Amino acid sequence: MIDTLAVVETPEGIALQLRSAGALPRACAWALDFMIRFAAAFIAATALGALGASGIGLYLLVLFALWWLYPVLFEVLRDGQTPGKRVMRLRVVNANGTPVTWLASIVRNLLRVVDMMPLCYGFGLVASLTDRQGRRIGDLVARTLVVYAGAPLRAGALPPTPALVAPLALRPAERAAIIEFAERSAQLTPERQQELAGLLGQLTQAQGTVAVQRLHGMATAYVGRA
Amino acid sequence: MKQEAFQARHGAEWTRFEHWLDARQARQRQQRAQADTIMAASEFPSALRRLCQQLAVAERRDYSTQLVADLRGLAQRGHQVLYRPRPPRLRLLFDFLAAGFPRLVRAQGACMAAAAALFFVPLIAVAILLQWHPELIHSLFDSRQLAQFENMYNPLHHADRLGRDGGADLQMFGVYVFNNVSIGFRTFASGLLAGVGAVFVLVFNGIIIGGVAGHLTAIGYGGPFWDFVAGHSAPELLAIVIAGGAGLHIGMALLAPGRRSRARALAEAGVDGAKLVLGVFAMLVLAAFIEAYWSSIVWLPSTLKHAVGLALWSLLLLWLWRGGRSPAPMHADGGADASG
Repeated sequence: MIDTLAVVETPEGIALQLRSAGALPRACAWALDFMIRFAAAFIAATALGALGASGIGLYLLVLFALWWLYPVLFEVLRDGQTPGKRVMRLRVVNANGTPVTWLASIVRNLLRVVDMMPLCYGFGLVASLTDRQGRRIGDLVARTLVVYAGAPLRAGALPPTPALVAPLALRPAERAAIIEFAERSAQLTPERQQELAGLLGQLTQAQGTVAVQRLHGMATAYVGRA
Repeated sequence: MKQEAFQARHGAEWTRFEHWLDARQARQRQQRAQADTIMAASEFPSALRRLCQQLAVAERRDYSTQLVADLRGLAQRGHQVLYRPRPPRLRLLFDFLAAGFPRLVRAQGACMAAAAALFFVPLIAVAILLQWHPELIHSLFDSRQLAQFENMYNPLHHADRLGRDGGADLQMFGVYVFNNVSIGFRTFASGLLAGVGAVFVLVFNGIIIGGVAGHLTAIGYGGPFWDFVAGHSAPELLAIVIAGGAGLHIGMALLAPGRRSRARALAEAGVDGAKLVLGVFAMLVLAAFIEAYWSSIVWLPSTLKHAVGLALWSLLLLWLWRGGRSPAPMHADGGADASG
């Protein structure tokens, strides 16, 4: 329930990591979409109201398109994102990580009817709270996921520290941890850096800023920089 | 190889790949056109494969998670581009409507037959019953609704349009599309509730339509009523039955998945249902068009309207019965995939 990460293996032999979104960001995206659709319907009503009886017919056609076609067209043609999902940085994908297809998008949006029952997306909320990947009923049947589309964190540059050979031989995972510590230093306060570096007294044989410096130096050596 | 050397060797390639993706997804057409100058589209699949291989190597060699996360982000973006759905092609959509859809309807013959029974049996039973016991109509409609129906189809009352309380053709087209197509969609979707929703919609509509038809015929207003409904009855009623059948199908997948897992049965019924709903959508838009622009014409002779209605029934049933059986190679499966 806590880790929403879904790992999907692709034909290229790599593991895609899909981080599925919970009910709250999705509800926000829906509310944004609703406001956009409401505004569009309002504009259409004002513009077409001038045309009299035929205008009512056109207005109802617009309303039909806004209600039923808007989510499908945006999801398939705009990389799985309706405007609301784009703002919330969400994306609809097939369960295998590929972009959502026409049929899958049609199914998940038609079955909103069931998710909306008995009121206020009640069934959808229950389903997404019980499902490990936060899927509503439409997603379960269509085999789709709503995932975070956020850009991955950029690799921070290593602090410019002269390379330092570690006094101990470390295992690969431990070396990776030290490289990560150096790459993420920019996001940590100096106090926190020192606190973390202090845990490795045996390795750094120092305390405070010196320990941090030495760890950065080892990281520089591990990534192969002179 | 140390991480730094690995990055130095492949960094330029990753940057190029990222720029290509950025240019491709850019808002402006000009920027999108630049994508070709960065990398030819035909190079993209092999570039993605190379990137995936480098990602696997980076993971295997325990390079920093930051580097691995960067590469994985690029690979995921590339994955989204490589496996994007094909744009729908009109040709395949036509093939689907001509062959794939009737085939699919026949493949779900049992659900379709059940849906047809749930709809037509109450319809015909109520319509016949009202000929013997006309007073029963009062348990279906209140007197204001009845007065409205009677007013619309009164043979002595010379309206300029049949079947409506006034309103332009285009207005009624909008009303029919909005109401009927939405009902069709909901009929399918509510079938997921163990079929209950679909059964309810089918029986309820059967009783209501049978009630109106039986009552107006019993009081002698049948002429204008049958003139009005003859034209659009075939596409409209058949579409509701098919939507209900698709709803029953998905309800059955939930209740009795058979030897498949329930999730798999639901997913398969969902795909079939979406395809069927596409056909239902086309049929209901056709019905709305006929209802707004043809059925409402007052001055056409009854025989012509009835003949057209009968012809449409025969054509649609023939289409559902024989469509897609031609020995010529069809692209029905591909059509269904691409259209959906």
